[in-house]
Amino acid sequence: MRFQSLIPSWVRHALIGAACVSATLGAVAPASANTMVIAATRTPGGFDGDALKPNTQNVVVQTYEGLTKYGYKKDPTTGRLEVDASDIQPHLAESWTVSQDGKTWTFKLRQGVKSPFGNELTSADVVWGWEKSINQKRTGAFIARVSSVSKVEPVDRYTVRFMLEQPSKIFLAALTLYTPSIYDSTEVKKHASAEDPWALKWIDRNTAGFGAYHLQSLKAGEEAIFVVNPNYFGPKPYYERVVYREVPNAGTRFTLLRTGQVQWTEELTLKQIVELKKDKRVKVESDVGTGHASARINPTIKPFDNPKLRQAMAYATDYQAINKAVFEGLGTQARSIVPPIIPGTDTEAWTFATDFNKAKSLLGEAGYPNGIDITLEYSGIFWFEEPLAIQLKDSMAKAGIRVALRKITDADMRSRTAPNRRDLGFFTFMDNPIVLDPVYALFLNAHSQGASNRNNYRNTDFDKIVDAARVEQDPVLRERLVRQAQRIHTGDSSWIMTMYPGVHEAMAPCITGYVWQPDYHERWRELSCKR
Amino acid sequence: MKNGFQGFLLRRLLVSIPLVVAVLFVTFMLVRIGGQDPVALLAGPTASAAEHEAIRAELGLDRPLLIQFGIYLGGVIQGNLGTSWLSSGEVLDEIASRVFITLELLLWGVAIGAIIAIPVGLRAAARRGSLFDQTVRAISLTGFSVPTYWLGLIAILIFFYFLDLAPAPMGRISAAVARPEAITGSYLIDGLLAAQWESARSAFTHLILPVCTIAVIACAPIMKQARAIGAEVIESEFIRYARASGLGERRVRRMVLRNSLVPILTFVGTEIIGLLGTSSLIELIFSWGGIGQWGLQAILNGDFAAVQGYVLFAALLSVIVFLIIDIAVWLLEPRGRGTA
Repeated sequence: MRFQSLIPSWVRHALIGAACVSATLGAVAPASANTMVIAATRTPGGFDGDALKPNTQNVVVQTYEGLTKYGYKKDPTTGRLEVDASDIQPHLAESWTVSQDGKTWTFKLRQGVKSPFGNELTSADVVWGWEKSINQKRTGAFIARVSSVSKVEPVDRYTVRFMLEQPSKIFLAALTLYTPSIYDSTEVKKHASAEDPWALKWIDRNTAGFGAYHLQSLKAGEEAIFVVNPNYFGPKPYYERVVYREVPNAGTRFTLLRTGQVQWTEELTLKQIVELKKDKRVKVESDVGTGHASARINPTIKPFDNPKLRQAMAYATDYQAINKAVFEGLGTQARSIVPPIIPGTDTEAWTFATDFNKAKSLLGEAGYPNGIDITLEYSGIFWFEEPLAIQLKDSMAKAGIRVALRKITDADMRSRTAPNRRDLGFFTFMDNPIVLDPVYALFLNAHSQGASNRNNYRNTDFDKIVDAARVEQDPVLRERLVRQAQRIHTGDSSWIMTMYPGVHEAMAPCITGYVWQPDYHERWRELSCKR
Repeated sequence: MKNGFQGFLLRRLLVSIPLVVAVLFVTFMLVRIGGQDPVALLAGPTASAAEHEAIRAELGLDRPLLIQFGIYLGGVIQGNLGTSWLSSGEVLDEIASRVFITLELLLWGVAIGAIIAIPVGLRAAARRGSLFDQTVRAISLTGFSVPTYWLGLIAILIFFYFLDLAPAPMGRISAAVARPEAITGSYLIDGLLAAQWESARSAFTHLILPVCTIAVIACAPIMKQARAIGAEVIESEFIRYARASGLGERRVRRMVLRNSLVPILTFVGTEIIGLLGTSSLIELIFSWGGIGQWGLQAILNGDFAAVQGYVLFAALLSVIVFLIIDIAVWLLEPRGRGTA
């Protein structure tokens, strides 16, 4: 609809009159050609990859880079580049060797890599970063634990050695991550003190990495400005300056992108994405991603300890209706706990296509011939939770499963699904395995020791298989174990596997070079603008 | 009169202390028993149970509530409002850096709203039942009914998106303009003080839309109240007596204005406090970055120290505004001095 038809002529004239006044006040000057303005949900709460705060991860991936990186491959159908999880390439490390027993890895660092402060990357920097993470006992320590790293030591100025407790196939993939970060320890140590030996306070407000960008200024609540590391070892990034501007309202972010005021925007709703896909002033790129919008069932809580009931719930889910009503038809059906982008995903065991009759009969076998009353708890952490909960209630009612919905606070959801509680019976959630490895995804989400096993799934056979896969070096045997574990997990039906909502990034139409990353954050250094 | 003003001021300040402590206590308890738990958020999705407990202990959340409150109150007395868990910044610094950002928006909005609404309301009171009065009542009712959030979005849609009159709703100043050195925290005033005209102009243009939105929101209740107060004063016996005594209409109007001003002023003061919450939403959609936006994010993320700091700021702002109103009333209204 044209604007003119919305507003009466006298109002238009008045507004045009006001335009003349406004013209003297001046409009916003467009950002210069090599500056990218991002409409961010908020300014980063901090810059320490081990102490993640809102939007920390979004920016530390730009400032700290790994010893390794994923290779890219072309999608044969779309022609777009995508991460190749089976191809791990050197990055800050030039090459590596591994001992016969798979427990000692020796990395040769790339020489001449410098931080913005002019200090050269050495083995001492790698060791310092890993020691900091292990000492801090947060995100990086978790990465060290799951990749079985017990010790990191320097061999010479450009050689570093990692000792593993047991062989790990996850290890090389873990080194692609932003944490444990590789800091310019020469610079960071200048800011350490007796009370703060790891300079955590300084690291939280500054950056000192060997990545393509570094933080120039931060005005909390307003913007963080990043500039290119003048000593960056890789190709010179197109965007020399990135303004990470806080725009907390999704509607405003949407408008700013459409009007060309920003070149990139974070977190839009799927409705907005659908609209933007039709808008020539904006480019939208979509990928399946690894985030799985699931409804999880805690098999240790009654009545969900009954596997027939859990299977009945899966059959009583109308997946197509969910995709249409909740995910605007953009979702991809989930059939395994291992996302489709990860090699080794196995969807064979998923036989839960919507079948209300089968659900009813399973419900009868479970001892509930007259139906059952259950409660589904959801929060506002993920935008899809409430609509998904409503669809599940609607769909399950058709099989006699009467679902009462209960909204809990975000904090309650987080704390009640954390390892020390896990007392929710049936709830919605989403986890994204950041390492593109099937064993990592299985361990994280469903092993009894897995940090994101939020529904307290317990199966000793599954645990044994995953434990065996964690140390298995033979790729064929490992894949067999991975498939076996998935089949056990899917058959136990403790997750209602609904959809991968997908990753939909909206950007200025001139932007090229975007490739989806497992941490869900674009790499600014790869983006350029071709007009 | 000797101890009049000073005594009055002292009494007002003394009354405020228990009020502020009570506000602190209630807020402190509410945020802690309100189902918010920042530990899981801070720990991240991969933390173990032991890591959760370690963070809980680090934040002091494993201690009894009353002890936690005692420690907090002790800190507040010494000017330490704690540390924001989300930004790692000192809450006092975070508030100080945002106070003027919000006050600039709020005070301009309420002031413009009051300047328009008071004469209009009083005029409507003087012409009750007329077309003017009916129109004012209709406008006032509409103003009450319009959701703040919606009004802000519509303003953006029309003046920025369709007409391109207003600058992009992404903060207080254009990304392409240099920020003036911080003196007051207001880019407009700082730009003017530093003679950075481009910055001042950009800050001014960015102020227009959000200020007008707040002015529209503030207008409706002030207009309604001014009309009601004006009508009451016009009907009072002394105005009837003044008219009966043959005083000219202009002098009568002046009497009405003088007698209406004190309650209207009091009401405008309460509006400033009331609009503090509303301005959070305005700040959010205009990406303003003031204390309202900060407080809202603190509430959503369970950032206890920041929430308490925000409520403390709101309470202190209320105390200060009412104190200013009391002083103004004390000066304007000699009749109340004996009982103040």
